[in-house]
Amino acid sequence: MSDDRDFTRALYPFLYAPADNAVAPLAALLDTVRSSTLAKCAEVVALRSELVSEYEAPLERAAEAMAERFANGGKLLAFGNGGSATDADDAAIDCMSPPRTEWRSVAALSLSADSATVTALANDVGLDSVFARQLGAVGERGDIALGISTSGNSGNVVAAFTEAKRRGMLTIALTGYDGGAVARTGAVDFCFVARREFVPRIQEGHATLWHTLLELVQDALARRAEVVA
Amino acid sequence: MTMRFVDEYRQPGGIARLSAEIARVANGRRVKLMEVCGGHTHAIYKHGLQDLLPENVELVHGPGCPVCVIPMGRIDDAIAMARTPGVIFATYGDMMRVPSSTGSLIDAKADGADVRFIYSPLDALTLARKNPDREVVFFAVGFETTAPSTAATLLRARADGLKNFSVFCNHVTIIPAIKAILDSPGMTLDGFIGPGHVSTIIGLEPFEFIPRDYGLPIVVTGFEPSDILQSVVMILRQLVSGTARVENQYARVVRDTGNRRAMEMLAETMMLRPFFEWRGLGFISQSALALRPEFAEFDAEVRFTVPNVRVTDPKACQCGEVLKGAIKPWQCKVFGTACTPETPIGSCMVSPEGACAAYYNYGRYSLMRQGSASETPLVTA
Repeated sequence: MSDDRDFTRALYPFLYAPADNAVAPLAALLDTVRSSTLAKCAEVVALRSELVSEYEAPLERAAEAMAERFANGGKLLAFGNGGSATDADDAAIDCMSPPRTEWRSVAALSLSADSATVTALANDVGLDSVFARQLGAVGERGDIALGISTSGNSGNVVAAFTEAKRRGMLTIALTGYDGGAVARTGAVDFCFVARREFVPRIQEGHATLWHTLLELVQDALARRAEVVA
Repeated sequence: MTMRFVDEYRQPGGIARLSAEIARVANGRRVKLMEVCGGHTHAIYKHGLQDLLPENVELVHGPGCPVCVIPMGRIDDAIAMARTPGVIFATYGDMMRVPSSTGSLIDAKADGADVRFIYSPLDALTLARKNPDREVVFFAVGFETTAPSTAATLLRARADGLKNFSVFCNHVTIIPAIKAILDSPGMTLDGFIGPGHVSTIIGLEPFEFIPRDYGLPIVVTGFEPSDILQSVVMILRQLVSGTARVENQYARVVRDTGNRRAMEMLAETMMLRPFFEWRGLGFISQSALALRPEFAEFDAEVRFTVPNVRVTDPKACQCGEVLKGAIKPWQCKVFGTACTPETPIGSCMVSPEGACAAYYNYGRYSLMRQGSASETPLVTA
């Protein structure tokens, strides 16, 4: 019969010979991570197909409306919180410094990017005003407001859409879950909802929606340029 | 009416003396101690022990709530099994309300799945005997404390020749989790209130690496108010004297060598998994148990196909940070508002041993008032 120490060693081998146990768990761990990653890939592909299929016509209409405003000198004002703030930054960069050389550079600004302005407004006025106040300062009738909120319930995004609509801007939302309060404001012209309840999936859906929209906008701008020429 | 083994550990005079002794020994020194076991967390807030400690002695809550550390993906797997036609899914009551990425077991039950809550794994065996035309799956969850009862059930099932019974094994072991916390960057603990129930099974030897490799004291502790306060005194005395060793405050229950018969049953029926995912702590090598191949016929993971996908916690939920002791429950954005015991978002709000449930049930208002708004973390996207 084994003694007590043998049972303890069997249950906690790493306390006694950590080096001997490192290799086998790693291989098994990698197998699990691999299969889990593949399962996630399948989910993302399904979501992307779903979004493009559901929103094919609205995406084209939104792109035409955006192209019209860009062609008339309008600019994109993007905003969101946290991960959606970096998505707003990315949208602005995609417009100002397009990833393809043949694409036209168009005016855009991320309202999440200026930390001094954002923190000043948050501290002095309140979080709900950080985007609406900026829209009030730089937004014009021919501009485009692009708001991103995975929950659809971010108060400052909802407030910004209300302000943008009041100013006659084109309003476009990227949200998740069921669209949340953003979808119900009545202040959004085009609301694209990645219908998931898992934030990373929603953000992957937003990336697909934005890049599809951008490509359609650039196509529309190119067609307009051909007509003018 | 007095209750033996309870009332003598709740005498106000003794409690007051221990409280004074803690303040005297600590003498203004800042000390942060982790109570590893969820049972301790519950007892600390149920009895208001935090209020009996000086401001410089802080207790943080560890990962010792078995319900809380099970990742969402495993609950998804459990629900998939429960929804399988012909299955009776037997589980402890705590697990019924733990959220997965697609609802909880109680939601599955409302949808028609045959989920039943039981008090002992042997109840699941009874279900299997009474329903020979159904498959009974037992959702086995818990640390070294409860794993032996699952082991005993497996041995009974094999002896009885049951063919319609299996175990979805999610037993985890606490020692690797303690080591993971000790190895984590920014670890600032000064000592541990050791888990009393686990120690009844494993004894004291597995804790020896804590003073040996990390220079920190650990005192295995009982669950009554005077037990916990006496344990704090014992840890403080070690810290003041510059020593670090394993001590046993709970000697009336815990033997230094643990429970040999329980360990034998564990060794006979279960083996270490190479790794297991813990909510909040990630993958930890050799930190959980699976059934041995000799018991494959009773292994639900062999008998059923499940999604087996890792799922991240809801973004607003900060159970992971709570389980690591990085934040207090009331600092979570959804604590007490979107996340309550009635409508839990995270597992720490479900089990009575969960830190969030303990805070919520015992003095959440006074505890929340202690924190300033600037300390409240915000989660955004």
